Amino acid sequence: MLDGLLILLVFQFLGEVLIHFTGLPLPAPVVGMVLLLLALMFNLPGSDRVSEAAGMLIRHISLLIFPLGVGIVLQWSRYQDYALALTVAVVFGTILTMVLVTLLLKLLMPGERHHEEHHHD
Amino acid sequence: MTELLHTPLFGLLLTLASYRAATWLYGKAHSLPVFHPFLVASIPVVVVLPMVGLSYEEYREQIQGLSFLLGPATVALAWPLYRQLRTVRSVWKPVLITTLVGAALAAGISVLLAWWLGAPEPVVGSLAPKSITTPIAVEVVRSTDGFVALAAGAVAITGIVGALVAGSIFRLLRVHDDRIRGFALGLVAHAIGTARAFEYGEKAGAFASLALGLTGLVTALALPWLWPWVAGWLFGI
Repeated sequence: MLDGLLILLVFQFLGEVLIHFTGLPLPAPVVGMVLLLLALMFNLPGSDRVSEAAGMLIRHISLLIFPLGVGIVLQWSRYQDYALALTVAVVFGTILTMVLVTLLLKLLMPGERHHEEHHHD
Repeated sequence: MTELLHTPLFGLLLTLASYRAATWLYGKAHSLPVFHPFLVASIPVVVVLPMVGLSYEEYREQIQGLSFLLGPATVALAWPLYRQLRTVRSVWKPVLITTLVGAALAAGISVLLAWWLGAPEPVVGSLAPKSITTPIAVEVVRSTDGFVALAAGAVAITGIVGALVAGSIFRLLRVHDDRIRGFALGLVAHAIGTARAFEYGEKAGAFASLALGLTGLVTALALPWLWPWVAGWLFGI
């Protein structure tokens, strides 16, 4: 757990350092995530010790997030003029995207069920 | 007595207690998306803060320690992504194409809809990262000059709507392949969709986790470069 937290902070810091020296317009934790992914893929010794801390943080991600979302209700005056635009964009936009992405996958994904269906014939 | 309200202890206690109660209820409701802890945990905080006269700004300051963990939590997403990469080697091509096109669709559709209905730039910018997992979204929204609160809320509602409508959409489009169900859920509805995908089984869950990680990564890497161009085109700045 402690090792994992240490690894996460080190990689976040490396992300900060990289952004500081390159001026990339990217969030430092995202760069840290890419660096950690590379470390894991190249089997950097000890990098898999991140699992426990990573699992715990991801499991309770809602705890870290919901206090930010509370702002929508408590600062509603800031957003009320755009309530319609927000609702349509979020609700209808999500449904439309889900349909299009599913259709795209149906088109592209090679069938694995053909096998099974032929067996049943 | 009132000085007790103005310490980090109050905000942290309120936040943690609300979250604990919400996860309990979520378990009782068999993980029904509308009972997602994001929504339920917000209720006590929304009620209590105005009641005791604590401003939202001060509350945010009180729980800064907790919010800081969003950084390490984003880095942590490398772990599930790494674990799922090996499960999809045989279908990497459709996976990659769908991620690129799907991430663009998810952001593009909501941005265009909000713009078309007259929302101003920061509101539109807050919606651009709505299909990606929240820790990445709240980082990315800084690069689109959006509101963090709005982005976090839009992400949560997207996840809940996506998880709720997915079943009917798959039935309508006659999708029986768990890889497709999982990948679509993870791409569009991030973590909440991934939880829903695991109800279809391990394979759907693995594809959803992968889609969540890849979509977050692609969007986070592309949006900060693309946004100034898109905003310039839509709002003429």
